[in-house]
Amino acid sequence: MSEASNQPAREAGRYHWRRVAGEYLGLLLALGLLVLVFSLLTRHFFSATTFYTIANQIPAAVLIATGMTLILIISAIDLSVGSVAGLCSAVLGVVMVQYKVAPLPAVGLAGLAGLACGIFNGLVSVRFGLPSFIVTLGMLEIARGGAHALTQSQTQYIGSAIEPIASLSVLGLSLPFLLAVVIVIAGQLVLTRTVFGRYMIAIGTNEEAVRLSGIDPRPVKVAVFAITGVLVALAAVIDTSRFQSANPNAGTGFELNAIAAVVIGGTSLMGGRGSVVSSFFGVLIMAVLNTGLAAVGAKDETKRLITGLVIVAAVIIDQYRHRFNRERATQQ
Amino acid sequence: MKHNRLSAWSAMAASLGFAWFLSSCAPPNSSTSSPSSPPATGKPRVALVMKSLANEFFLTMETGAKKHQAAHASEYELLANGIKDEQDVARQIELVEQMIAQKVDAIVIAPTDSKSLVTVCKKAQDAGIVVVNIDNKLDAGVLADKKVKFPFVGPDNRKGARKVGDYVAQKLKAGDAVAILEGAPNAFNGVQRKSGFEDAMKAAGLKIVSSQSAYWETDKASQVVSALVTEHPEIKAILCANDSMALGADAALRAAGKQGQVLVAGFDNISAAQQLLQEGKLLATADQHGDQLAVFGIEYALEMLQKKTTPDDRETPVDLITKK
Repeated sequence: MSEASNQPAREAGRYHWRRVAGEYLGLLLALGLLVLVFSLLTRHFFSATTFYTIANQIPAAVLIATGMTLILIISAIDLSVGSVAGLCSAVLGVVMVQYKVAPLPAVGLAGLAGLACGIFNGLVSVRFGLPSFIVTLGMLEIARGGAHALTQSQTQYIGSAIEPIASLSVLGLSLPFLLAVVIVIAGQLVLTRTVFGRYMIAIGTNEEAVRLSGIDPRPVKVAVFAITGVLVALAAVIDTSRFQSANPNAGTGFELNAIAAVVIGGTSLMGGRGSVVSSFFGVLIMAVLNTGLAAVGAKDETKRLITGLVIVAAVIIDQYRHRFNRERATQQ
Repeated sequence: MKHNRLSAWSAMAASLGFAWFLSSCAPPNSSTSSPSSPPATGKPRVALVMKSLANEFFLTMETGAKKHQAAHASEYELLANGIKDEQDVARQIELVEQMIAQKVDAIVIAPTDSKSLVTVCKKAQDAGIVVVNIDNKLDAGVLADKKVKFPFVGPDNRKGARKVGDYVAQKLKAGDAVAILEGAPNAFNGVQRKSGFEDAMKAAGLKIVSSQSAYWETDKASQVVSALVTEHPEIKAILCANDSMALGADAALRAAGKQGQVLVAGFDNISAAQQLLQEGKLLATADQHGDQLAVFGIEYALEMLQKKTTPDDRETPVDLITKK
């Protein structure tokens, strides 16, 4: 890029923005296509209501996908996010319903539960050099067991005491949605603009090289798991508030939805490459798909077939986009 | 060498972890009623094989059975087992096989799949074990094909859902639009409840504009209902095949500002639903008396062991629950 440095800063800036737009073009295209198809197939899909509904439904998924993106970038995986969400939700429900704890401290306790699970995942896999796959698979069982033990397998009905968290809104957008957007932006900035972010990418690309260059990757890895734990707890608090109840089975299967959304966003399962903003679009694509299929009233088997096909198609589009960008970059 | 020590450590920890993982896959209840306990002298041993203990309904069922056993401790021994996940058919078949190997006297089973469990139940009967089918009826066609018969003790989900549907219909007028949230599509009781709702809607001349599965889950139900009330603003009522989905429907209606304008009904009468009923957010639900269900099954099994006869099927009550 020796030429670029000779050109005026304005040119370089324009190049940067073109590159950023190119980064999300494939995803925006896929998203636009889905919206178009569903708008043609239904009477009311293309409406402000639908978009507010989706915006207010996705915050929990966005937070979990943000954590999962960071996890995948360091070449790890976290299969426990769904169960940990269930556990945090159970903690929140039980302390509020059975111990009459006020909402704020109860939310704090739920956050601590998430943090503890995340730290456990990180410490155990780092200390014993275990693949995160198996450690978090263990946590998937531990946390779900804990959720059932705490609640005696009974859904805890909290009622309107927890409602304010999800119902506060600014211009029709809920507080959780705004929080999710802030966290996505913060996550992206940490990833691209901080030393910590650089370490994460480096660890995901070649952990041995990081170690040989005198940087201990272990604290970074534990921190990423801990951050994910807290994000999952936040997600659980948001959903519990939306449903005004804590179901010990809540969050079942979230891990796979999160992985799907993150991979649709182009984050590599092999580590070292990823974007929180792209994962946000991945979540949006999944949400538009779910809402659209429900609005159409598609049969259950049709829904599953289409969801699977869209996941695969989105990843293919993303692959092509990457190849196209790389070719353009080598030409310049 | 530090490195070697570390890898030895991790290998050990990995194998420990794996062993632990395997043991964690055991049925959640195996520790409280160990299947390996030695046969007691004389007293018949009754094995209760349930679906997921993660489901409040089956936990209630187990609690009811344990209370009954405690009150009749001199009459029989109880081995209660459930599976981790309601969809895990293979695990439930294994459980029945283990019970056969344990040479129990009777098996009281709530099958997770009405077809797949028939073969192993026949195997138990062939081994001289009394088998009683509770909760979810084994498929009549497969039973006829295998030439076996097990007495069934359980509720008629279709009738129960019909009661709920009829009550909802009273609050509406002919031609009004309604939607149904179904359970998992492969669950027989879910299919029955859907049919019951449909019967009631047809009888009252109501129009079902959409019927979709939300897999028994709160989260999925809220997603589906949000989309439905946007697409079909004319919907007057949502009939849910269980209470967890009714909670999700309520959340979606609240978010859409339609709480109170659209009626919600559920099924199961879980504790959370009772509160929703009192707050007027849920119109009706149904109670199948899970705590009594297993008890009836056990009493049947004991009777069969004593009299060596096969009694007729017995329908257990399903009650309509509304605001007091």
